Amino acid sequence: MGTKLAAFYEQTAKEFGSTGRVKLALLTKLSSAKALEAPDTPEAIKLFEESLEQLRRTMPPR
Amino acid sequence: MKISMKLGLFLIGVLVLFVGLAGSLIRQAEAVSAGYDALLARPVQASDRARVMQVDFKKQVQEWKDILLRGSSPADLEKYTQNFHAQSAATDRDAAALLSELDDSQARQLVTEFTAAHATLNAVYEKAYQAYVSGGFDFKAADAMVRGQDRAPTDICDRIVGRLGAYVSESVATQQAAAAVARKTSLILAGVLLFILWAIGSIIVKSILIRLKTLKGVSDRLASGDIDGLSIDISGRDEIGDFGESMKGVVAAVEELMSMSGSGKDSQARA
Repeated sequence: MGTKLAAFYEQTAKEFGSTGRVKLALLTKLSSAKALEAPDTPEAIKLFEESLEQLRRTMPPR
Repeated sequence: MKISMKLGLFLIGVLVLFVGLAGSLIRQAEAVSAGYDALLARPVQASDRARVMQVDFKKQVQEWKDILLRGSSPADLEKYTQNFHAQSAATDRDAAALLSELDDSQARQLVTEFTAAHATLNAVYEKAYQAYVSGGFDFKAADAMVRGQDRAPTDICDRIVGRLGAYVSESVATQQAAAAVARKTSLILAGVLLFILWAIGSIIVKSILIRLKTLKGVSDRLASGDIDGLSIDISGRDEIGDFGESMKGVVAAVEELMSMSGSGKDSQARA
């Protein structure tokens, strides 16, 4: 249940800190708490991957 | 469908309906106008011509009386005889023209009867005229020969005028009834179209307002920080649906912020 999605939040926190987590929530429309509960569907994983890529393109690393 | 598209289509629909309504009203006005034109061109004109024929015939009878009264003078005899024949010819021309203009079978029959009666009367007048001229201008003898003979064509002429007057009245009544039907149809059509516009407009406005109200509820809860169990259930692929999707991101971000804030407090508490 959502372990892969939750891993995206951990990775985002490492790379961009709290601001990155908030922006990831904005882009994916899923908070870390809900990501943990949500199923790791291919669509959701793809959305998180694309959102993380977007953060990497637009945000300076920590 | 986007709200802008819905409103655009609704506006186009309003324009199309009103253009159609205006076109329908113009067509109905033209039909009423054409009906009155036809009324003026045929029945009214025929009624006028019948009155002219009646006057010409009465003038002919008057000219006959002038012949009898003043025919002893050669100049007057010639003058009134010419006038008599001229009025007789005018009456015949009026009758022929009237016959060609009439649609009403009853009136046509009367004109045919008048033409025959007029011809008979003219023959009687001719005999009386010859008797008058050759008999030393004895107007009493000539008058006795034609006495009461003009009554039949006069009566027929009066009946023609009366019949055509009634025909005009009937045609006017028919035209007025057609105009009333056209007016009623226009009112019903306008009412139905306005009802359709009102119904479609109400559905569009209601669908927008209901979903905006839902969004306002979400916004109010976000403003008060009450995000527990907050879900945004806004369906539709329009601007409100898009806004609802954006709001989901905002709610998730607020949840994340509050989550981090709670973790920070926990950490501080633990420290």
